[in-house]
Amino acid sequence: MNPPDLHALKLGDETAWNAAFDWLWPTVFAVAQLKLQPFLPDEVEDIAIEALEELVDNVRSVNSVEQLKPLVASIAHNRAVSLLRNRFAKKRGAGKTESLDLPADDRKAKEEPAPEDSPLDSLAKKELAARLQKSLVELKPPQGEILSDFFLQGLRYEEIAKKRGLAVGSVGVYLKRGLEAMRRIWERDENS
Amino acid sequence: MNNERFFDLAMKVIAHQAADVERAELDAMLGSQPELRAEFARLEKDARVAKDALPMMDAMEATAGEFPAYARERLQTKVRQTLGRPAAKQEPDRSVAWGRRWILGLTVATAVVLFVALPIFRAPDGPAIQVAMLDTVGTIRGADTNETGILKQQWKNSSFQSFDKTGPLENWETNWPEGNKVTAKVVYDRASGEVRVSLHGLEKPRQRTFVIERDLAATLQEANAFIQEQTKH
Repeated sequence: MNPPDLHALKLGDETAWNAAFDWLWPTVFAVAQLKLQPFLPDEVEDIAIEALEELVDNVRSVNSVEQLKPLVASIAHNRAVSLLRNRFAKKRGAGKTESLDLPADDRKAKEEPAPEDSPLDSLAKKELAARLQKSLVELKPPQGEILSDFFLQGLRYEEIAKKRGLAVGSVGVYLKRGLEAMRRIWERDENS
Repeated sequence: MNNERFFDLAMKVIAHQAADVERAELDAMLGSQPELRAEFARLEKDARVAKDALPMMDAMEATAGEFPAYARERLQTKVRQTLGRPAAKQEPDRSVAWGRRWILGLTVATAVVLFVALPIFRAPDGPAIQVAMLDTVGTIRGADTNETGILKQQWKNSSFQSFDKTGPLENWETNWPEGNKVTAKVVYDRASGEVRVSLHGLEKPRQRTFVIERDLAATLQEANAFIQEQTKH
C-alpha cells in the first residue's frame, strides 16, 4: 500500500482520503490497542476512528506525508490515555464520598490496578509525533531491533546474538548506542 | 571502572535477567562508586522510555488489519465538512448579507447612534498585539533573523518574544493582561508551519490557525486582517 497524496488530502479529495484511511488504519488501530486492550478492549476501534477524525482536522498543518503516521499515532495514543484516565477516575469515584459498606464486587472494581503512567503520556500530540518520527529516522539498524529484542521480547544477550548473527560482545554495544539515541531524542526538552 | 561491564550488569538488572552473582557485582560497584547511582537511575529511565516508545514505533510499521467499512462514510462526511469548502469563500457571502441588513436599517441605526451612543461612548483604541515565535527544532542561521524581521515588520509597535520550548510558550499564551483591553496573541510555530491567533477581551475569546501555504508574510497579513475584522467596532 502506497502513502496517499498529501496535497489531495488537504483539498478534501475523497479518493485520496479513502486510500489514507486504509493506509493509516493498521497503525492507528495498533496504537489504540497498545493502551486499551488490557483495560477497555471494546473501545479500541472507536478510539482509532476518532483519531482519524482528528487527523482530518489537523491535516492542513502537516508538511510531509511522512508526518501522517506519527501524528495519527500520537492522536490515538493521547485519546486512549485520556479515556483511561477518565474511566479510572470515575471508577475510583473522584470527588465522591463512598460508603464503606459497598458490595464486594464494587469494592473489587475500585481496587482494580490502573494503568501506569508512561513518560510519553505528558507529551502533546505534535511533540510526541515529532519524537516518534525522529526515533524512526535516527535509530540505525539493528539498534531498534536489538532494543525490541531485549526490552520487549525479553531475550538475553546470547539469544539476541544468535538471532541477529552477532558476537555476544556486540549486543551490549548496540543496546548502549540505541539507548543513547533514544535519550537524545526523548529527553531533549525535558524541562519544557 | 569498567564502563562496559557496568552497563551490561545494569541492563540485566533492569530487565530482570541478572543472576544473583551479577546483581551482587552491580551492588558492589554502586557501593564503591556512588556516582554510578545517578547513571543507573538514568538507564532505568531510558529503559522505561524505550519500553513505551518502541511498541509505538512498531505500530507505525504495522500493515495488518482492515479499515472497517461502516466507518468510511462517517469519516468521509467529516472530510467534506472540514475540507470540502475553503473557509475563505464563505466570508464574502456573509459580508454581503450583513451589508444588505445594514443598508435596510441604516436610517434608524444612524439616528440612534448619533442621538444616544455618540455622546456616551468614545471610540476604543485598537487591540494590543503580542507576537511570539516558537522554534523547537533549531533554525538555520539567517532564516531565524529573516523571519523575526518579517514578524516585527508586520506588527511594528508590538512586543515580540522567541521560545524554543512549548512549556514557556503555553504559559505566555495563557497569560493575558488584566482589565478589559482587547488583546491579540500571535504565535508563529515554525515546526508546524502555522500561525495561531488568539483574541481576548471580546465578548467571547476567539482563536484561529492560519496554515502557511505560500509564505510567512502573506499568512501574517491574513492573520492581521482577521484581528482587525474581529476587533473592529
